[in-house]
Amino acid sequence: MNSPISGTSQRAGTSRRLRTAVLAVAVVAPVCGSFAVAGVASAAPSSAPLVVWVDSTRVPMIKAYEKAFPNVKIDLVVYNGNANGSGVLQSKIALYNRVGSGWPDVVFSEENNDAASLANAQFHYPAALNKGLVPSSVLDGYAKGTMAGCTINGTVYCLRNDLAQNLFWYNSALMKQFGYSVPTTWQQWQALGEQVAAHHPGYLVGSAGDTWTDDLYLWPSRCPANDVVGPNTIEINLSSPNCTRAAALVDPLIKDGSVTLESVFSSTFDKTYTDKILALVGPSWYGADLFPGLVPKGDLAAADPLSWAGQKPATGEVGGGLWFMSSHAKDPAAAAAMLTWLSTSWGSQGISVGYPAYVADQTKWIAGQQASGFYSDQIGPVFATAATEIWPDWSPVPWSTDSIWASTVSPALTSGSTMVSQLAAYGQQLTDFAQSDGYTVVTKS
Amino acid sequence: MAVPTVPAVAGGHLNARRRGRAAGPAAQRTRKKGSAGYLFVSAYFVLLMAFGVAPTAYALYLAITSAGGHFVGLSNFISTGKDFRFVPAFEHIGEYLFIWLASLVVIVLGLALLLHSIARRVSSVFRFLFYIPGALAGAASVLVWLFMLDPSVSPWRFLLSGLGFSDLSQTIEPAHLPVIFAIIAFWTGAGGWIVVTYGALNNIPHELLEAARLDGAGAWQTALRVKLPLIKKWVVYMLILAFATGTQLFVEPQLVSEASLGQISPSWSPNELAYVLAFQNDNFNKAAAISVDLLVLGLLCAVVLVFRTKLFEVE
Repeated sequence: MNSPISGTSQRAGTSRRLRTAVLAVAVVAPVCGSFAVAGVASAAPSSAPLVVWVDSTRVPMIKAYEKAFPNVKIDLVVYNGNANGSGVLQSKIALYNRVGSGWPDVVFSEENNDAASLANAQFHYPAALNKGLVPSSVLDGYAKGTMAGCTINGTVYCLRNDLAQNLFWYNSALMKQFGYSVPTTWQQWQALGEQVAAHHPGYLVGSAGDTWTDDLYLWPSRCPANDVVGPNTIEINLSSPNCTRAAALVDPLIKDGSVTLESVFSSTFDKTYTDKILALVGPSWYGADLFPGLVPKGDLAAADPLSWAGQKPATGEVGGGLWFMSSHAKDPAAAAAMLTWLSTSWGSQGISVGYPAYVADQTKWIAGQQASGFYSDQIGPVFATAATEIWPDWSPVPWSTDSIWASTVSPALTSGSTMVSQLAAYGQQLTDFAQSDGYTVVTKS
Repeated sequence: MAVPTVPAVAGGHLNARRRGRAAGPAAQRTRKKGSAGYLFVSAYFVLLMAFGVAPTAYALYLAITSAGGHFVGLSNFISTGKDFRFVPAFEHIGEYLFIWLASLVVIVLGLALLLHSIARRVSSVFRFLFYIPGALAGAASVLVWLFMLDPSVSPWRFLLSGLGFSDLSQTIEPAHLPVIFAIIAFWTGAGGWIVVTYGALNNIPHELLEAARLDGAGAWQTALRVKLPLIKKWVVYMLILAFATGTQLFVEPQLVSEASLGQISPSWSPNELAYVLAFQNDNFNKAAAISVDLLVLGLLCAVVLVFRTKLFEVE
């Protein structure tokens, strides 16, 4: 084996091994590297027209703007509105940041946390509106407290389109027919649920199957799930009695069926629950968006948000849209003018599906809703009261508390677990997300 | 009974080359054939460099640098390794791969051997049937499965309700996901592999099977002791590719998560976690580190299998 041939054979062996390694890379590499080039794929749009991104619901508002200002050129892009923390907006902005161009000038988002997410140093997308772009006279015209989610360290990064304050919705005809009285406290609501389960099984007093279930029950209970208490410091304490009392209230009603685990927008919800909704705790937009078709015309009523006995009323919110303009806008004045018009003018808010955040539009908007004949009572006073009762310490944060709820608690509830037992897991996930985003987590403020 | 360990096609080709070397004019013809081979490969080579090797090199560069382009060593790998979503994502993929690869090898081989032993006309009908689902693109096949798994619309609702599932969220509980994704992957991918394995079986010289039969081997013995060892390299090849694509699962959990209104974590698989880090946290460097982790994992598996089975040895 010491012949010269063995050297040749060794070299052949080495080259074979090399070839083997190269081939192995060739086999594996094409599938591995595919996403890394995504960053260079997007092209920058033309700078001349205003590039506007909205969800399909907001398209009529843009059409109204085009009609009112025919000289402004608009390049309209319809996207999913970043709904349910989908992160589409963040994905695109990240790509545009990488390429250094292509950002939309004006964007609508359904995700309340987007100001916190997009304004942070990584994305640095929205323009600071209170620094000469939108006059303070306009900013002062929004309902008290409603711009809190848009304001970070004193800088306003977005304009609020509509409010999504939670109310107590009920079918007034059914309530009368069954002989129940409308609850004002959460304890009364639980008692109502138990009575309904016993005497009118199949009817609903609430739902807990949507991604925003935490906003319906934990937020109004002042549960410290995401209370930003200082710069980069957040209180997350799901073992607080404020959290456990809310979960313990809902659990028995899920068990007896008076609170459903189905999403109110699932394909089967209307089949199962048309004319079977006695009451739902839900946002103001349920009135125009969810209930038509589920509750007979003229039977729907709204009552003040439920409160905890002996405590000041507080409520939560589910969404409520935000208007952003880009800090990279080529024509900041034009973009700011459009943003202001969309969020404040009656020409835009008159066709908004949500309760306007801009006070001057609220009365007219309510009158329009009332004229539909869908409601059995006046909804204006309830909407106005609830708008001022949103608990402010459920802070906007760069992660979506709703999507964490959906992937942590919802599947466990579906498989028969209880909300009380899942709070710890939910709290742990919230803590993990906060820490990975650089927050210091405290359990007591 | 002596059993050759080289697939017949490769062996045949080598014999031709050896014969060509001995005979002068024939050797020239073979060399010409060789250069034609390079021509055929060149188109793929360009694409491989542009969309395979260059992005991989870019990912490697990103993985060892910071957002500002400074060299940071392994810190992106360490910080992603410590991320609370990292271990669960790899656990999910591990469960999924275990189920998928095991079922792929057993069922694909079983069906291919079965098809190879029945009449050619019948087997071609079955091969076509098995292949059809593979013709659907990845996303479309997941959508088909979303309908199949939703008890309110599924044609198999009696089966789903028999298992105790009354709506989609129950069917796609987190614990069921590795099995569900393995079924989807099998449904879309196995047909192609059955056809490939059948092709490999067809390359076994007829005389060899005839000899086995004359020596008294039954159908079972022929399948297990003659056919299987002969197509071992094809199985290894299938395993390498299936492992690499399996670790990079993305479309299935992403779509199921969308369809279930987020009931599945958006970082269920490592590739999804990379996507979240890149596009939700705007951190392409950490995302690249995870994609490099996957590359290394795929390469390790490939190299181990290649060397253990002498996959590329031709003599």
